[in-house]
Amino acid sequence: MKEAQANLVVPVVAALASLWALLSPANSLANALLLVALALVALLKPQQWVRALTLAGLTVVFTVLIREQSDDKFAFYGLIGTLLSAALLKVPTYIKVLIGVAILFVSIPLAGLGNSLFLELGVQVAIFSALALGLNVVVGQAGLLDLGFAAFFAIGAYTWAIFGSGQANNFIAGNHFPLNPWLFFVFLPIAVVTAAIVGVLIGLPALRLRGDYLAIVTLGLGEVVRVLANNLDHPINLTNGPQGITPVGRPPVDWLINILNGLGLGRVYGRPIDESITYQIFFYVLALVVVAIVIVVNVRLSNSRFGRAWVAIREDEIAAKAMGIPLLPTKLLAFATGAAFSGVMGAIYGAKQTFVNPESFTLNQSIFILAMVILGGMGNIGGAVVGATAVTLLNIDILKNLSDQLNTWRQTGFTLLGYNFANLPTQLEPAKYERFVFGLILILMMIFRPEGLIPEQRHRAEMEEARLEAKDEGKLQEGSA
Amino acid sequence: MSPTPQVPPLALDVQDVTKRFGGLVAVNSVSLQVKPQEIFSIIGPNGAGKTTFFNLLTGIYKPDTGKVLFFGKDLTGMSPDKVARQGVGRTFQNIRLFKAMTVLENVLVGHHTLISASYLDSLLHTGRYFAAEKKAKERAMELLTYMNLDRKAQTAASSLSYGEQRRLEIARALALEPRLLFLDEPAAGMNPQETEDLKVRVRKLRQDLGLTVVLIEHDMSMVMSISDRIAVLEYGSKIAEGLPAEIRNNPRVVEAYLGKGAAGTAGDKV
Ligand SMILES: Nc1ncnc2c1ncn2[C@@H]1O[C@H](COP(=O)(O)OP(=O)(O)O)[C@@H](O)[C@H]1O
Ligand SMILES: [Mg+2]
Repeated sequence: MKEAQANLVVPVVAALASLWALLSPANSLANALLLVALALVALLKPQQWVRALTLAGLTVVFTVLIREQSDDKFAFYGLIGTLLSAALLKVPTYIKVLIGVAILFVSIPLAGLGNSLFLELGVQVAIFSALALGLNVVVGQAGLLDLGFAAFFAIGAYTWAIFGSGQANNFIAGNHFPLNPWLFFVFLPIAVVTAAIVGVLIGLPALRLRGDYLAIVTLGLGEVVRVLANNLDHPINLTNGPQGITPVGRPPVDWLINILNGLGLGRVYGRPIDESITYQIFFYVLALVVVAIVIVVNVRLSNSRFGRAWVAIREDEIAAKAMGIPLLPTKLLAFATGAAFSGVMGAIYGAKQTFVNPESFTLNQSIFILAMVILGGMGNIGGAVVGATAVTLLNIDILKNLSDQLNTWRQTGFTLLGYNFANLPTQLEPAKYERFVFGLILILMMIFRPEGLIPEQRHRAEMEEARLEAKDEGKLQEGSA
Repeated sequence: MSPTPQVPPLALDVQDVTKRFGGLVAVNSVSLQVKPQEIFSIIGPNGAGKTTFFNLLTGIYKPDTGKVLFFGKDLTGMSPDKVARQGVGRTFQNIRLFKAMTVLENVLVGHHTLISASYLDSLLHTGRYFAAEKKAKERAMELLTYMNLDRKAQTAASSLSYGEQRRLEIARALALEPRLLFLDEPAAGMNPQETEDLKVRVRKLRQDLGLTVVLIEHDMSMVMSISDRIAVLEYGSKIAEGLPAEIRNNPRVVEAYLGKGAAGTAGDKV
């Protein structure tokens, strides 16, 4: 479609859909049309400012919708989609910043005041974005397959949990613990350093190996960290074992309660702002700020000699060595950097949950983070964030809703295309479909878009080349047959 | 610290190096001396052990016996990155570019060890970071201009033609600011025009940068016209060494090539 036509079609569709949705809230057809409008913004190629205005308009509409209907998941996903479109499509930078700030710091907190689930989804996405960014440095940029990445998340979480609760009294005499909860902010950099050090300790033996061997060893060492957390309740009780540590301290938020009430947000909330919603807003904003810092750090490193050295090692170790790049130190640096990103989020996670136990840091968790990186597009910072968003929302919301829906259909005997859901075999527990559907999505992605949702520019070239080569080979074989 | 020698030492002093792969003696007790600023060629039939010899000198393999001295410094058993940091650049017979990177980024990787910005500088975007990056980019562009690749600076390395890729490998190796450059079949896959061009460039490199160049090459016209001296390897052993005219008339060399049935190609060109 020509630009001129797109300039007309995109805003008109968006405007009509908005009108309809606003006039008849919770009308699923109107909502679907809004999503179509959002998709058109990305797929058709209108002028930059048309695109920018449409996205800004959609931001407002989704925000209004989510305020009117506080359980309007669809408006929430509309906001996420608008945010990602603004971030990834070609729009003027100040518009990106404007829409980003509006959605992250106005729309979602407002939505969260109506339904705190949205803040929970937001904070989870932020936490996993930092983890995915960390693993992306290791796997995506430096090409080191790490299957035990959740270990560093655990290190960060336990670093604060042990000293931010009474746990440390078990091995340090004098009843000094829990530490003053304000010290949480001091423990964020401490968690960064601790995780980075553990990254180096794990990396030192593991990074002497390559490829499959490295993957297996990191998997093992990652499990070692979890098993240690599980068993270090004796002879000295460091981690409190499988029971975990609780309550983990959180920094006081009275000041924030006052600010929020002062802003008159109590009216939006429906009652005076209380501690629970304030903590949710606090951790949501904190996680966002940390993700922003992680992204800046990541971009800066990528554009430095270190980022280039990581990609060089990924591309060709021998050539990298011949350029004077020392392999082990450079790989350790990637490991420590990735570990640091997840360490800081571990500390935040521990405080947010006020509870830390080994079950949060399983191999499964590591695999999910890896799936985020691969699904998003290896080596790409935007890809890691998109992948983290997609996988996190799928895991904690979309797939859960799907299995709930299936359950309801089964119980009510809903019929679709002649199939009665009451006949679903009882062995097929809908909760298990979650993993099944997730696996299916991964497989389909790898078949149809192996380079990920947002491929690294560099990677795309490689894949294209591999495809052409495969084609050539095919031709040769045909020729010789 | 050893006292600096009065006489400039040999650029390369290879003493009796041997490399075995299982039962195969790929490089058999080869000794070789290269003077500073010499252009020295190594020729020999395929499988003679030329590339293996390079790999021994650049630290990719450790010699089973023997010693490698570079301007008097013992490189034997040093890791490849350390060898590179001593001032040894190289290219590869089977081109090993960082394909996912742009042409410019490839050269910047070559500058890696010369960029003074530390990890923290890069994180905090200190003045030193900007200064170092700017300097590195300027030098990289100079090298690309030197190798006639400046207009391709922002394209993906994988989209270059064969000849361009070989030139980029040289530019990347030069980014290390080496004193010695190893070129493994730099003209392979080039057309006669590009080969001619390469010859001029290699000579210019020595002249402008004072480089010592050791190259492996099959193109005899290039070898004969560019080299100060030539060594011939066969079955891992050095069978001859001398001036181009001496090599051209050495019966053992002619036999080595004729014996391989390569008279048609090598014989003509010699
Ligand atoms: N890594 C290796 N492992 C085993 N054999 C090798 C290895 N590298 C080279 N060779 C063998 O050593 C011999 C010399 O190879 P090479 O140095 O590549 O010869 P050239 O460069 O002169 O063509 C060949 O027979 C080759 O098969
Ligand atoms: Mg060879």
